[in-house]
Amino acid sequence: MTDNFSVFVVEDDEFYSEVLEYHLSLNPDITVTKFTNAKEFLNNLDKNPDAVTLDYSLPDMSGEEVLKKIKEYNSEIPVVMISGQENIKTAITLLKDGAYDYIVKDEDTKDRIWNAIRNIREKEGLKKEISELKQQVKKKYDFTSSIIGNSPSMKKVFAMIEKAVKSNITVSITGETGTGKEIVAKSIHYNSPRGKKPFVAVNITAIPSELIESELFGHEKGAFTGASARRIGKFEEAGEGTIFLDEIGEMDINMQSKLLRVLQERELTRVGGSGLVKVKCRVLSATHKDMAEEVRKGNFREDLYYRLLGLPITLPPLRERGNDTLVLAKYFIDEYAEENDMGKLKLSSKAQNKLFKYPWPGNIRELKAVVELCCVMTDSDIVEDEHITFNSTGSIDTLLQNEMSLEEYKNRIVKHYLDKYSNDVVNVAKRLDIGKSTIYRMLQERLV
Amino acid sequence: MMSDEKLYDLEQLNAIAAGNEDFVIKMVNMFLEMTPGLVGRIEAGLQTQDWPEVRSAAHKMKPSVDMMGVKSLHDVVRSIEVNAKTETNLEQIPELYFKLSDTLENVYEQLRNR
Repeated sequence: MTDNFSVFVVEDDEFYSEVLEYHLSLNPDITVTKFTNAKEFLNNLDKNPDAVTLDYSLPDMSGEEVLKKIKEYNSEIPVVMISGQENIKTAITLLKDGAYDYIVKDEDTKDRIWNAIRNIREKEGLKKEISELKQQVKKKYDFTSSIIGNSPSMKKVFAMIEKAVKSNITVSITGETGTGKEIVAKSIHYNSPRGKKPFVAVNITAIPSELIESELFGHEKGAFTGASARRIGKFEEAGEGTIFLDEIGEMDINMQSKLLRVLQERELTRVGGSGLVKVKCRVLSATHKDMAEEVRKGNFREDLYYRLLGLPITLPPLRERGNDTLVLAKYFIDEYAEENDMGKLKLSSKAQNKLFKYPWPGNIRELKAVVELCCVMTDSDIVEDEHITFNSTGSIDTLLQNEMSLEEYKNRIVKHYLDKYSNDVVNVAKRLDIGKSTIYRMLQERLV
Repeated sequence: MMSDEKLYDLEQLNAIAAGNEDFVIKMVNMFLEMTPGLVGRIEAGLQTQDWPEVRSAAHKMKPSVDMMGVKSLHDVVRSIEVNAKTETNLEQIPELYFKLSDTLENVYEQLRNR
């Protein structure tokens, strides 16, 4: 606690207030402001003192009245009442009305005030810390702040999340890569009654297929080569919390039947073990694949598909979320600027336009990366369009999903190269092995 | 009436000052400036039988008299305040007042020549 601590001393006895001021000011962190009457003090209440010592018998107003007015203004300000004589009844009334302490003027007063102020400072410090921590926790888990967007498609998503939070139903989340499937899963978990229990995420693609069974269900010692000790699996780890199976569409067909059995029976057997272990966790799953299509193709078991479907939540790709792109971009810019102690950064209208028009194949994950890079690139507090570079892997699949005409694809490709090589027509013509005049013609006709 | 006995004791003030002599001087000067006015208010209140005024002035005098360590007046000031407040034993107040003003005259003198 090195912060400055402001104490207002309200006391009509100049001699006494002088002593108080001197005594409190011995602590260099404390700044004392003196007032000799209630009116002057109340007029300065908007300066928000950290504590007030208030003489009970002021010339222009009774101590009770002043205390009431302080509490009406801000009930958080601690008020130490100082009285010329001991009066138990008054003391009780004042303490009931919210006074922090009641001190009688005598030889020990200054020490008691000193202690009271010290306690107030400690208490205020703790209060601030707690409210900051609470704020952080709330912000972290509150889906209205961890998931951002005002577009109609996101409003539908919010409505579904709320339903998922209130019930215990299995939830399947679909959406392209980078649309925030895991964040949605976490929000559902942390806002649900299971929120204080574990949240265990398993990415199916990240685990080699021969290990996935023991990863999910655990194994006994000696179950296979290298199983040197018993290990509990992710389902057991999740306990009465939530297990999140990410990229469930990638699970191989053998494992699918094992998972189905566990979900149906609500119990599992560790690899190499014989005992049954109860499964109590909630199951959330996610995939970027069209699962109905996978079922039709025979890549995914229909019975498991329906077992996992539960409440389906579909996350829209960023390009279908309209203005959310800019809302999110501003959010990420502010976040980046704050984390890196930079001042406020702004997007120029050209930059906004550039972000708005881009199709975002990598969705929010890509947007975040692009925005953070442009925060680094700018030298002023304005992000211009030239600071924005798209390093999309440009996966041909995502491009083809747009289902454009060949002519349109051609224009897109030329535009992409022109952007990439800062409109150097000669260079682009060489790279694409087309004539310069073709590009000039396209530019002239504003096709690119 | 002059007395050789030291009527004040700056121990408490010195303790608060924690070695800051300027503060001690400031407070002594403040006492010397403020107190005659309060004594005057008590005297005037006595003449007009304005007991609330007597009470108020005595009340205000308490902290400074205590701080200057004028022990012989500790009870005197309080009796004046209580009697005036409750309007009982009012006949004692003039005598208490004379004790107060006489002692204070000597205290002023001693403090000035400290």
